[in-house]
Amino acid sequence: MAAAGGDSNGDSDSEEMLLTPAQLIHSLEQAWLNEKFAPELLESKPEIIECVVEQLDHMEANLKRAKKGDLKVSVHHMEIERIRYVLSSYLRCRLVKIEKFFPHILEKEKSRAEGEPSVLSPEEFAFAKEYMANTEAYLKNVALKHMPPNLQKMSLLKSVPKPNLDSFVFLRVLEPQENILVEPETDEQREYAISLEEGSQHLIRYRTVAPLVASGAVQLI
Amino acid sequence: MSDAYFPVGPGLGMEENFFSLDDILMSQEKVPGRAESALPRLAVMLGQGAGSAESVPEGSKLEMPLWLAKGLHDSKRRIISVELPKIYREAWRTVFSADANVVDLHKMGPYYYGFGSQLLNFENPENPEIAQTILQTFTARFRRIMDSSQNAYNEDTSALVARLDELERALFQVGQKGLYDFQCWEKGQASQITASSLVQNYGKRKLAEVDG
Amino acid sequence: MAAERAMELVRELHRAAGGHLPPFRTDVLRQALEEMRALYERNQADVSEAKSGRTDLIFLIRFRHCCLLRNQRCLLAYLYDRLLRIRALRWEYGSVLPNTIQFHMSAEEVEWFSRYKKSLATYMKSVGGEEGLDLTQDIKPPKSLYIEVRCLKDHGEFEIDDGTTILLKKNSQHFLPRWKCEQLIRQGVLEHVLS
Repeated sequence: MAAAGGDSNGDSDSEEMLLTPAQLIHSLEQAWLNEKFAPELLESKPEIIECVVEQLDHMEANLKRAKKGDLKVSVHHMEIERIRYVLSSYLRCRLVKIEKFFPHILEKEKSRAEGEPSVLSPEEFAFAKEYMANTEAYLKNVALKHMPPNLQKMSLLKSVPKPNLDSFVFLRVLEPQENILVEPETDEQREYAISLEEGSQHLIRYRTVAPLVASGAVQLI
Repeated sequence: MSDAYFPVGPGLGMEENFFSLDDILMSQEKVPGRAESALPRLAVMLGQGAGSAESVPEGSKLEMPLWLAKGLHDSKRRIISVELPKIYREAWRTVFSADANVVDLHKMGPYYYGFGSQLLNFENPENPEIAQTILQTFTARFRRIMDSSQNAYNEDTSALVARLDELERALFQVGQKGLYDFQCWEKGQASQITASSLVQNYGKRKLAEVDG
Repeated sequence: MAAERAMELVRELHRAAGGHLPPFRTDVLRQALEEMRALYERNQADVSEAKSGRTDLIFLIRFRHCCLLRNQRCLLAYLYDRLLRIRALRWEYGSVLPNTIQFHMSAEEVEWFSRYKKSLATYMKSVGGEEGLDLTQDIKPPKSLYIEVRCLKDHGEFEIDDGTTILLKKNSQHFLPRWKCEQLIRQGVLEHVLS
């Protein structure tokens, strides 16, 4: 049984990646943990979501065909519940971040260069836009429009806090890295370089390793 | 605490978060200052006189909330000057460096760290020392806060947090949540579905209203 | 002192710990907006005097402007934080709120809430295949398919998966599919009993 990854959108060079169900669930778990521990919203993984959903549907269909009272049925059913939990928790975590940082996420989306991947899925983008419009309209109607003319404008972009990229994260190294530049913590220190050995664990500023989280070279834990 | 309510937290360092209720309360705390020139018709508003036409004479001592001091402060035209509240002055800095753990930061604060970081906006010549003291105080007190938050299980913690500043209290709560979540998991209760704390709150309120 | 009204709102909301939603204070909001209008009008008058030479008024104008900004910030922060609390209600109660809570919301908040619900529903329908995925469920990791629950109040008939119905009577105990009762537990109708 193999779940096919993301439909190629007519892109001739996009490779069809083939994952076994176990690999698929593993990559969902990786995305979930990274999202849980990263201070900012990470790139969306539509192909993983799509495959997991297909996988769940497939398992549920199998379950319906199975005989009642079969012990295997409850084991499979439990497996479905667990995968659904991880999937829900992952998407929920993303929504929380979208609601927390919406003006900044939408701003980033606006200035995104063509061809650069979006951090939002199309559905999340729609949700974020509606959230922004709803909140802006609300504040305007209830308060801003009743205020003196020079105070009727307020920028959500300036008022809603940005993610703190300087917060510290724990990570495990999946692919060894060399020459990672670490910013000094005190005035006396200078910038220095470190190597990350495969399998080693570190506590480090998110900003320093953000590209490695994005590329999958490290796993947040 | 509701699991789905994520309030806007206080800003970091010299920044305030516009929407943070904590920062708004923090910036309501007062700073001492002085009128560097006469301030016409401001006497009533700054709590100095009775008539609305009275001015504040040059050299008068003032006391104003931080937000106002920040708004009026102008490094080019010094109409008012901002002075240090006493716990950020040298005498107190010495106390902090001797033993930061003995100070009741709730009584002296309660926004010792946040307010102190804000004072750095006023270009005081003692800024480096203030920043240094705030950092050292935090470092010196952190260990005790972490330990006590990890060791108080199922007991009244009001005595433990009584002398902590607001930032320290928040840290203590984070530590407590970690401890309780871990105990829950150890007892196999992590998967127990519980009533929303919001529901519990409203339930209690309703009872209280009926009783009253 | 200036901006006292708006500050009162912030203090009251801050005191309501744990995301609790206190009643919306329309009257205080209006008073604060009136204070702003008065400050602004006095400033307008003084600005024209200052332009015709009364430069000693500039500091007073600046003072009033600070008060205006402070009022604006306090009011917007009050309203915004309430939205965050209302948002939490959707996740913890479900889409229909009990009357006791609705009484605490303004008409505009109710409208914001219903738009929020709609956006969320659209989003949830778009993920997870044909039926969508209810993200407000599965808050805790599952350990078993069925769980033991005790009924804390009379809830009436309740349909389970296979079409059978049971009666949820106060103090009765049942063994039910977990995903069917999650919301009732969070609403305080059922209690999850650990064996």
